[in-house]
Amino acid sequence: MAETKGVLLPAYVVADESGSMAPYQSELGGGVASLCEGLRAEPMIAAKLRLAVLGFSDDVQVRLAVADMRTETTVPRLEIRGMTNYRAVFDDLLQRIPSDVQWLRGEGYKVHRPVVFFLSDGLPTDGSAWHGPHAALTDRGRTPAAPNIIACGIGDAQAQTMVEVATRPEFAFIAKSGADVGRAISEFFHSLTASLVASGHALNSSNPQLVVNRPDQFTMAIDEVGL
Amino acid sequence: MTPGRRENPAHPEPAPGHPLGPLTPPPPPSAPPRAPSEPGPAPWQRITVGVAGMEFEARPPSQYAFDFPDSECEGWSTDALTLRFASVRGAKHRYYRQPRQDAARAAVHEATDSIVFAVADGVSSASESHQGAVEACRAAVERILHLLDRTSGPLDPADVAAHAAERLRQLAQWRLGITEPGPAEVARLYATTLVAGAVRPTAQGLGIELFRIGDSGAWILDRAEGRYRPLFGSKTGTDALLVTNEVSPLPLIPDRLETATGRLEAPWTLLVGTDGFGDPLGEGDGRVGAHFARHLGTPPPPLWLGHVLDFTRETFDDDRTLLALWPRNEARPR
Repeated sequence: MAETKGVLLPAYVVADESGSMAPYQSELGGGVASLCEGLRAEPMIAAKLRLAVLGFSDDVQVRLAVADMRTETTVPRLEIRGMTNYRAVFDDLLQRIPSDVQWLRGEGYKVHRPVVFFLSDGLPTDGSAWHGPHAALTDRGRTPAAPNIIACGIGDAQAQTMVEVATRPEFAFIAKSGADVGRAISEFFHSLTASLVASGHALNSSNPQLVVNRPDQFTMAIDEVGL
Repeated sequence: MTPGRRENPAHPEPAPGHPLGPLTPPPPPSAPPRAPSEPGPAPWQRITVGVAGMEFEARPPSQYAFDFPDSECEGWSTDALTLRFASVRGAKHRYYRQPRQDAARAAVHEATDSIVFAVADGVSSASESHQGAVEACRAAVERILHLLDRTSGPLDPADVAAHAAERLRQLAQWRLGITEPGPAEVARLYATTLVAGAVRPTAQGLGIELFRIGDSGAWILDRAEGRYRPLFGSKTGTDALLVTNEVSPLPLIPDRLETATGRLEAPWTLLVGTDGFGDPLGEGDGRVGAHFARHLGTPPPPLWLGHVLDFTRETFDDDRTLLALWPRNEARPR
């Protein structure tokens, strides 16, 4: 039966859990909680989203599998551990996203292009090893379900790296020089929630668009690279 | 990229790992009005197709959108055709205090007994798209009536589209107080999809002529089979992995307009609708298709069409507009 149950936007929050994030664990936890509450406060929008929360360091751990936030009853918890392995992230997403899209389609939904919100506080500890899987993930020829990636860098993260991770230069942000990292994390989640709600409004309209709000305390990374 | 103002939902943050509180129902909604105690017909209950969407009392649109009612419907017959249309505000707009941005208009061309019609879906990112949709419909219907006065030949869809686009430009001119608003300025205010056309009685039968700009659609419903045949291409192919429903609405006019022609014969009904109808319909082989096939077997009362169109189904919260034409020689209105 070709009738659809709806059109969904799969959204992935990919948060850095490496050891250097330890001082900011409470901000990470609060940010995830505020995201969940923000979506639950907008049930009409949440009905059209499916949210996953992934924590990464040496590997990727699923903190929340693709979930309907109207009915999700617990807040996912991020755990500080290990290094900052970007390759693990993109290897994981390269498998996970097409699989999730197929699963949602099998459940009777149509699917918008997925979106990934990536937050990292440091340089990748795997050098350039992540470039290959990232290229495969974001190449719509090789990966038809290739996501849009919004990359936000805090702490020691570099603007150039965020520009490379993001799928469009204007989707890359870097915390302002001297910005409080904890506050920047909170702003990342505030902006993420607002972006998802705004994008949810635009879904199923004649002009669907991914709305990306620049978090306070962040600048566009491309501007930093250009300096 | 739309760097925007920060919007903090400002909800209390429970400690990680703690259970969330119960789902907060949407604001204001009071209970729907109670039926009077004296005996009488029960009020219409909202029709649910599959899983119901959120139930709540509709909120008003912003104060200056008073001229765009929540719902409207129309119905009448000529010797050859029966027309019904309805346009209802979607749940999203009822909840977020926005006006209905869909519109429909229809008229009879008296000299030829043709029915002329237009359906439009204002683009939500345009600030006055509710006005754009209505004006595009008005302009298209007026122009088709004019063209029918002048020629018995095929309609010129490019002429009609240009007339509608010009109407939006004039509206922007007035609104902005400038002499030459650019297409982008017009679009920011009044961008809208448009499907317009006519059904004309001819010696060979009832001739359909349609064109569209954007993703609103048209279908032939075979009432005998309960099947829907789209007259325009689908915005999302059945096999497409992801949805890509970006459209180029008026005031932009594509180099090649999408057109459709055909005959309206028994037991068929011509349907013209916005994506608020077309998206849940899909290919028409599911519950929504069965719902409409059941209620459109014969022309329903116009208010009932509005009720049927206002069904609730989870995630489908867009405005809905549906215009239907039945050949009259075999269908008598209820």
